[in-house]
Amino acid sequence: MSTQSESRFELDTIRERWEPRIERFKRGWARYTTHKMGVIGLVILVIYILWALFPSVFAPHEPAWKAYVGYENTRWTAEQSASLPHPPAFGDPFFAPLGTNANGNGIYTLLVYSAKDALYIGFAAGLLSSLVGVPLGLISGYYGDTWIDETIQRIVDVMYGLPFLPFLVVLVAIRGVNTTNIILGIAITSWLNNCILIRGETLSLKERAYIESAKVAGASDTRIVFRHIMPNVLPLAFVFLAQDAAIAIITQASLAYLGLADFTANSWGIMIENVKAHGYIYEAPWWLIPPGLAITSIAAAFYFIGFSMEDVTNPQKE
Amino acid sequence: MTRISARYLGKRVVVSYITLLVIMTLLFALLRSMPGTFLASMITPEMTPEQIARLEEVWGLNEPLWVQYVDFMVNYQTGEFGMSPTRRVPVWDVIVRRLPRTLILFGAGFIVAYIVGPLVGMYLGWWRGSRKDKSIFASSLVMYSMPSFWVAWLFIWLFNYELGWLKSTYMFTKFPEFEWTIVTTLTDVLHHITLPLLSISFVGWVGAMLVMRPSMNNVTEEDYVFLAQAKGLSERTVMIKHAARNALIPVATQAIVGLAFLIDGSILIEQVFSWPGIGELIVSSVLEKDYPIAQASFFMLAVIIIVMRLLTDVVYTYLDPRIKFGGGQ
Repeated sequence: MSTQSESRFELDTIRERWEPRIERFKRGWARYTTHKMGVIGLVILVIYILWALFPSVFAPHEPAWKAYVGYENTRWTAEQSASLPHPPAFGDPFFAPLGTNANGNGIYTLLVYSAKDALYIGFAAGLLSSLVGVPLGLISGYYGDTWIDETIQRIVDVMYGLPFLPFLVVLVAIRGVNTTNIILGIAITSWLNNCILIRGETLSLKERAYIESAKVAGASDTRIVFRHIMPNVLPLAFVFLAQDAAIAIITQASLAYLGLADFTANSWGIMIENVKAHGYIYEAPWWLIPPGLAITSIAAAFYFIGFSMEDVTNPQKE
Repeated sequence: MTRISARYLGKRVVVSYITLLVIMTLLFALLRSMPGTFLASMITPEMTPEQIARLEEVWGLNEPLWVQYVDFMVNYQTGEFGMSPTRRVPVWDVIVRRLPRTLILFGAGFIVAYIVGPLVGMYLGWWRGSRKDKSIFASSLVMYSMPSFWVAWLFIWLFNYELGWLKSTYMFTKFPEFEWTIVTTLTDVLHHITLPLLSISFVGWVGAMLVMRPSMNNVTEEDYVFLAQAKGLSERTVMIKHAARNALIPVATQAIVGLAFLIDGSILIEQVFSWPGIGELIVSSVLEKDYPIAQASFFMLAVIIIVMRLLTDVVYTYLDPRIKFGGGQ
């Protein structure tokens, strides 16, 4: 009897502690949904996440499928191979809603199967650059105008002088062209913005009264930075995460275009590069346009989400 | 004018120089950290060990690392870039031919992007929250999300392949049927540069707009804007002369970051249009494993960025009268 009431008591305290947070989240969500742009971005992102998780549900074939012959390892007749890349076809002679490329693979199928790659690069690079940029920005801001801040800012300054894409090209060419190196390279150069903006936010936050009182109460620097300041800059950090993800996806596509990509993987950038490599830029718009639109829409979705979140986290701006 | 003192300028120059030295060191470390040496691409199976040893001798690879480093730093600062192993010409010659072409394309792109971006940002910030603002803002974000090389291909497809109005490769007509006079040269270059320029600025202007819009919006709440409106000045005058001037200041800071973004864009665009510039050079040399050229082009791009940053820095401090410099007064 007593244990039951005790556990209920515990449940109540948990609820009490979480209620304001849930409440705040609900209010934030209500504000977020007033932004049409943000909702559109979220819908696009959810569609791509579904594509990435269950590609076989959305795509009519596996990536190995080829026009005319399907999964069988037979050759095309001369006539069949001359018809490739084939414009969109619906059942006659085969089903490929966005046509095929020069190798006979369905464009729509490749598009669906490449979503995983784009999302992986976007989230991994975005998270990685936040993991570097946010703590450094916090430290730099909290110890503003000391040698720590000075050192971090000088490093950021120098890194901004680095030509970004050439640096990536050289780095990837040296360390080997694979997805991990591409993500690392993107993260090395994209934490700078996070660091500078989080620093600015921290500089203004640390002058607030509640930080002062935490200090008087004897909280350590680490505790103040991570318990009191960080939760307040986190929404902002998510804004930059979304922007970094967008930049990372475009950058990876650019690298693929320059011939620096893992060509065994499925990716939208590689699809565009293949149009060029096979010389069908002018003849096969059904091959050139969809992957570009896919990159544009996923990057735009991230930007839409980022900018709508910025409005939600900065209510005084309205 | 007097606000920018020689001492301030000197300080900025020294800081830029140190930045360059650090980037050169990074570059050196990056290229030495790769497995093997760039000689691997020059050594053929039928070479004797003596020949290989002589090659290593000529390229200075037998020296201790610190000697190589000092040599590299000294040589690069005196414009001594060495020889290209694949092209067999001095690297300097290649770079010098390519540099002006990159500067023309990139410079034009920079100017267009930083005229269009702040202008659009000014209008959107002034009417923030209106229907027009929302739709233009959303569509410019979509433009910002487009891969620039893909946009460039679409432009080529439309303006070159379908309509045949503009040229899609190189900077000049090869084997022209006309005489090279000033007028024909200019029109010819204009004919070639329009599409690459359009492609760079199509994506590039948004960065400046993203900063100008909120900055303009903040300025509209200021007292002096109300005062100007109360004086009965036209909305146009208030917006352009009173509000926009002050809102421009953060754009100058953003330009420091935006520079690198535009350089990236121009590298891709050079690749698409076979524009014979540094960006096209760096990519092809990396793929050919011609490291002396790759290294030198990287260095040149870093120099461009650092010099442009110095200039924007000076412009920024000139624009903002609130900034006072050491030794100014």
